[in-house]
Amino acid sequence: MAAAAMCSVVMSLSRINQRLGVLTLNPVHKGAAYSKGVSVRGRRGGPPSSRPRREAGPPRWEKMTPDQDWTAVYPTAAAFKPSAVPLPIRMGYPVERGVPPAKEGNLELIKIPNFLHLTPAAIKKHCEALRLFCTEWPSALDSDAHCEEHFPIQLESRDYVFAGPSLRNPQARVVTLRVKLSSLNLDDHARKKMIKLVGERYCKKSDTLTLTADRCPLRKQNKDYAFYLLTVLYHESWKTEAWEQEKTVEDMEEYSWEDSPSQRNVLDTLLRMRTLGDSADAAVDTDSVRKELLASSEVQEYAASVSRLKNEGESESSVLQYREAVKKVLRL
Amino acid sequence: MLCILYCGKAKAVRGFERGRASVNTGWLQAVNKKEHTSYFRSTMAAAGCVVRSLRLFCRRLQFPQHETRHLRNYWKCGTFALSNSLRQPSLTSAACLHTGKVYCALSPTITVTDEPDVLYQKVEVLVKGHDRAVLDSYEFFTTMAAKELGINISKVEEPKKKIERLTLLKSVHIHKKHRVQYEMRTHYRNFEFLRLTGSTARVFLEYLQRNLPEGVAMEVTKTEIEKVPEHILEPLWNSIPEKEQSSQ
Repeated sequence: MAAAAMCSVVMSLSRINQRLGVLTLNPVHKGAAYSKGVSVRGRRGGPPSSRPRREAGPPRWEKMTPDQDWTAVYPTAAAFKPSAVPLPIRMGYPVERGVPPAKEGNLELIKIPNFLHLTPAAIKKHCEALRLFCTEWPSALDSDAHCEEHFPIQLESRDYVFAGPSLRNPQARVVTLRVKLSSLNLDDHARKKMIKLVGERYCKKSDTLTLTADRCPLRKQNKDYAFYLLTVLYHESWKTEAWEQEKTVEDMEEYSWEDSPSQRNVLDTLLRMRTLGDSADAAVDTDSVRKELLASSEVQEYAASVSRLKNEGESESSVLQYREAVKKVLRL
Repeated sequence: MLCILYCGKAKAVRGFERGRASVNTGWLQAVNKKEHTSYFRSTMAAAGCVVRSLRLFCRRLQFPQHETRHLRNYWKCGTFALSNSLRQPSLTSAACLHTGKVYCALSPTITVTDEPDVLYQKVEVLVKGHDRAVLDSYEFFTTMAAKELGINISKVEEPKKKIERLTLLKSVHIHKKHRVQYEMRTHYRNFEFLRLTGSTARVFLEYLQRNLPEGVAMEVTKTEIEKVPEHILEPLWNSIPEKEQSSQ
């Protein structure tokens, strides 16, 4: 019986110990956001704990003055704290013809990113510190034309900042090199050969060669590869190979009037007109006559108009010019 | 953290000083003499005042040790601004004792390296987000920061938003006629900055990227300008006449 009594006493003591244990454990969890004053496991509808929950004092914004340093309240990006922001903000859908909910306990205000840490005062302070690390742009390069003149090569690359399963973007390694052929040291033959070598990468309108390098895994490597490509193209275009002698009229980039069917036809026509005119002159040196005809201004005008038609295409002005030239040559 | 421990700033000025040494042979020959001298005068003046200001800054930093100490105290809450530390200059002697020599080692250095600074003709920043209001605020922040740092903003555009919609079945099984539609809206904002040096671009972009809000992505397109490399100025066949003949 004494044992039973002892047992019951021990049991009750252990229960009290348990309760005390629970109570002592509470302060440890005080820092956690989800903790309550009373642990649910230990208490099931029992009396409130002897250690009361601390009363929340007046909100911080009541003590704030209008001329306080806001950068101290929100020095970095932080969630919206209704007690620390002195503004009467309301956000949310007004339920049952009411008003948008107030800022206390408003999840919408907490969810949305706020810029309370980036007020103009804070930005000014940050920039004051950052200005020491910035350098000035050279004053001589104040326009795009000057930049183009001294630094003709443009390298374009991209950086990406985003959140995802991986922080890397495979497009970040691509490097695009743009250069105007007029800024490179190329002669006529080299320029034509370069244009033929690069094909689609050359834009005739803007005279720009665009090389895109993305075959290497690193951006630095792609940049070096682009420069290597440019070097190789440049040197190859200056070389003249043996088979380039076999260049035919179809391979020519632009139309040249010399040694063309048009020249032959015009000279033949004019010669025949002349021989019909000067009836009996048999000892006519055709070569010298041809040269004389070629040198005459009407034939030169005709040559220019034909070249313009062929190179630039048909337009109203070019066709009219051709008409005038033909009339002058045939003396109509 | 960015502020004080930022090192390795390359100065553009130094690079042009180097170019000055090679004036007789280098690319500057073509430049108009008047422009050249005035440009160098301005850069030398700039170099002089930057070096002077750097010296001042170094002196400023070496002398008041408490400033650097304060940075350590604010480190924990991740303070970014230097000037916060200047507000409360007083500190207990115990803290001074602890922090004494460590901060000599950590003393801020702006190193001016000899390598010429990279030049960016254009830096385009495209930000994407789901919320237009957030991008509006970010635009205000970006434009203000650029103005404070003296960066030339050429344009701020708002490309049209893109909506990606998908239609799914509402029910787990059958009920094909009943569907639910979701959409994802992406708003854009495009900033274009002209004529930035490499150091400025690095500092400014890091500042922007550190203050990028949650849920916003950024794409930066940098256009760097460079001189024609030396090995492309003249074809190397000219210097090797035998090779030229053999290739022909």
